[in-house]
Amino acid sequence: MSDENAFKDADEVYKYIGGMFETATKTPAFIEETQGGNLVILIKQTKPDAAILVDFPNQTVVTGDEALAGKSTVQLRMSSDNANKFWQGKLNFTLAMAQRKVKLDGKRSVALKLLPLTEGLFDSYKQTLKDDGREDLLVA
Amino acid sequence: MASTQTDDYQAPTSDKSFDAALSDEDFDTLFEQAEELSEYFREIGPEYDKKNTFAFPTIEKYKATDLLALSIPKKFGGHGGSLLQTSKVVSELSKGDSAITLAYNMHYIMVGIAGGLMSDEQNEYWLGRVVKNKEIMFGPFSEKRAGFSGLADMKAIPQEGGGWKIYGTKTWGTLCDAASIITTNATITDKDGNLPDTFEERVAAESFFIADFEFDKDTLQGDGFHVERTWDSLGMHATGTHTIVFDGFFVPESGFICEWRSGAFGVLEWASLMFASIYLGMQSRVLEESIKVLSKKTLGAVFGATVASDVKVSGVGHIIDGVGDMASRYEICRRTLYRTCEEVTLGLDDNWPMELRFPYIGLAKTFIAENVMEMTKHAMSMVGGMSFRRGMIFERLYRDSAASLFQPLNGDQGRTYIGEYLLAPEELED
Repeated sequence: MSDENAFKDADEVYKYIGGMFETATKTPAFIEETQGGNLVILIKQTKPDAAILVDFPNQTVVTGDEALAGKSTVQLRMSSDNANKFWQGKLNFTLAMAQRKVKLDGKRSVALKLLPLTEGLFDSYKQTLKDDGREDLLVA
Repeated sequence: MASTQTDDYQAPTSDKSFDAALSDEDFDTLFEQAEELSEYFREIGPEYDKKNTFAFPTIEKYKATDLLALSIPKKFGGHGGSLLQTSKVVSELSKGDSAITLAYNMHYIMVGIAGGLMSDEQNEYWLGRVVKNKEIMFGPFSEKRAGFSGLADMKAIPQEGGGWKIYGTKTWGTLCDAASIITTNATITDKDGNLPDTFEERVAAESFFIADFEFDKDTLQGDGFHVERTWDSLGMHATGTHTIVFDGFFVPESGFICEWRSGAFGVLEWASLMFASIYLGMQSRVLEESIKVLSKKTLGAVFGATVASDVKVSGVGHIIDGVGDMASRYEICRRTLYRTCEEVTLGLDDNWPMELRFPYIGLAKTFIAENVMEMTKHAMSMVGGMSFRRGMIFERLYRDSAASLFQPLNGDQGRTYIGEYLLAPEELED
């Protein structure tokens, strides 16, 4: 990958990163962990700018202005490149937080419990990129 | 500039395990056991401080209580004690003997940390052993190069048939003489034992393990490791904090708990607040012993700082103020610790900036540590030269309190974390 941003625009972010959250909200392990709770994560991404609101209890994902207008209990801020790395298992979330590559605010204790569950979706994300012919987004 | 509170205040939420919490009535029963055990620790503590060895007779006494399973969730057969309830028990035991309690404190720390990170299946097995077999857990992490903050140089080399063999040395094996379950961290290497090349890869490869731990108490040899009786320190003699050398110690795949740094982030309160509880118990003991001596001590006729034909020290101004100062310090520290336990249990720590979670939790410990050291020093000054004699409780508490300088986080580390956060730029650094 070059120094340029991995995603060319917000629509690509919504397709791939938003798509992963769509998958996560429908995955049994996530449903079990979040049902009956109030975990709604607003992911604000940079380079390119994008916003995704993930409502785990209601299993919905909205993007753009609709996401920014919604109410969240957890706010996550990171670059789109790092989001791409994260879903491929190439970003150590704790280290990224310590290095301020990722900012997490709000009721994060619940959100952090989901981290181990994301591992099961890494292969799915990489396969989606391959199926779409987006090898340029794969991180070595 | 960074804020020390997050912008959106989050209302407290009940702990998920609240429904299975230990009732006040059941806690009182357990606390009575802690009081009895504390009395026993108080009786034999001086002997083992002098012998400079772990207090071996305490093992059976401790196992005879229901306190091993105090903090284990009810769904795994334990009592479901909270952070605060466990803290109260640890402080009560520490009032009896700080060094012996510092050893058993390791059990509560590792039950809390490992229990919070293991899968349900692992918890059922390992915590189940604590409940059913009254087994004790411990966890050596520090190595020569650094304490908690240092990435593990200890290696976990993958084996062809699965699992890992552990190689390396842990220097602070507190409670190793009583434990039969070990939890520890090591960095997973390639099959030839090479550590990952990059810092990022090392962080990701540093892992948390759990395994059986058994060794011959005469030869000090276990299967794939041996214990070196190296503990010889200023204070905390009876902890039995020895060096453990791993030389091919096998951990099966089922003994892998999680990636260490990610996992540790959310559970380190069990270390910091339990250490704080030890020193709070010591504060209580210093105050108790000071009152005992100073309320009775008579100097007779004196001609010095005080001039009088007959002086009872309990009537001397700086003694009165000194005891009042010690009691005030104890009370403020108690409230600090109890409130920190409650805030963490209620999830109010979500209102702190994430980077400050650990140092903010650590404030209870560092604040209590600074106060217990001040109190032991002040007690000796007020009691006088007799307190300096070997075997006197005051010199003992003075020595033991110095250990509070070290367990993570210490004051310097905490201040660095906080200052670094406040001075760091807001923008993300890719």
